[in-house]
Amino acid sequence: MDVLKGNFKTKKDVKIEDAGGAETLEDRFEREALKHLGGSIAFVAKKKVLWDLDEGGK
Amino acid sequence: MATITEGPGELGRKLVANMERMTRDRIGGAALDNARFNLRFKDHGQSLAALRKEKVGENDAAIVIAAGPSVKRKDPLRAIRESGFKGAVVCTESALLYCLRNGVVPDLTVTLDPHATRIVRWFGDTRLTPEKLGADDYYRRQDMDPAFADEMKANQEIMGLLNEHGSKIRIALSSSASEAVVERVMETGMQVYWWNPMLDDPDTEGSKTRELYALNRFPCVNAGGNVGAACWMMASAVLGKKQVALTGMDFSYYGDTPYRNTQYYHEAVSLVGEENLDSVYIRIPNPYTGTEFYTDPAYMWYRETFLQMAGDAHPECQTFNCTEGGILFGDPIVFEPLADFLGRHS
Repeated sequence: MDVLKGNFKTKKDVKIEDAGGAETLEDRFEREALKHLGGSIAFVAKKKVLWDLDEGGK
Repeated sequence: MATITEGPGELGRKLVANMERMTRDRIGGAALDNARFNLRFKDHGQSLAALRKEKVGENDAAIVIAAGPSVKRKDPLRAIRESGFKGAVVCTESALLYCLRNGVVPDLTVTLDPHATRIVRWFGDTRLTPEKLGADDYYRRQDMDPAFADEMKANQEIMGLLNEHGSKIRIALSSSASEAVVERVMETGMQVYWWNPMLDDPDTEGSKTRELYALNRFPCVNAGGNVGAACWMMASAVLGKKQVALTGMDFSYYGDTPYRNTQYYHEAVSLVGEENLDSVYIRIPNPYTGTEFYTDPAYMWYRETFLQMAGDAHPECQTFNCTEGGILFGDPIVFEPLADFLGRHS
């Protein structure tokens, strides 16, 4: 079978992405989920429950 | 469709570990934008700091009413009303309709989610049309208050109830609330107490929480990811209640609930397909009820954050989960029937 090898030189080098960077199913799910999934608001682990500079935080 | 190699619940559990970051990334910008817009309402109402000085309820107990699927099966308000409970009733905005249609004006309600169009539905959306409903099945699909199944009728009902009772209700109104929610709260004459949700660690450089605080000087509250947890935080840390009971805090679905009736069904199907949904949903047996519940990554995260917050709470504050179902159990939470809690506090 003939193989097309190209018949011109590109002006710039073309870099091929490393296949190791391919998106995993988990990545895909997270990207998809990020559009809709998530809490209503953040949770800040190990921080005091109330933070108010005027009252010094309680 | 990709081949799913994960076993039941495994994909869901992987996502739980990332929920904190995913939520921060998705919500942070909208919360700040809303807070900037809400600056114009800063003087309509008081700071949450004022609520800390008020006497709310006649004893040191509070009951949180959230809107999980157990509410329609257990009807906690019936027992609460019959018991003559004298403590504070704190409800999520999503449980307002349930409270008001049962003749209970809560001592405090809480709202925080910055979503532009959905949250206002709990207050009665004056701009709701059948056309808008047709484009979003979020509420009618879920296993929640059956009154919401007929959405236009429910919207009319909650509008009427809040127009009538709004002025009697205190609301802990997050600066992150949408324009639609804030306008509706003002319109109904609710008693407003403003606060900021923590968006990140306020002690780090470039903190968005610190930015919020500089903007309006309202107290910042670690809200635990969801409005039910925020209600618990208000009851324990703001109202200073020592005994706090939770109702309607399932963080899960009953085992016999079809996947279609869960919050993130469409998203899960679009990714893994109907036949692989078991990999996303996490099944957890409840040893107190002897039954199995299942949950999704967001609600599983809520459970984990809540257990952490309860563990970090003031040692004098005890938390009792009286939902009588769901997945929120574990140290330091006492899981007990609502009747037992009411028996000690009525």
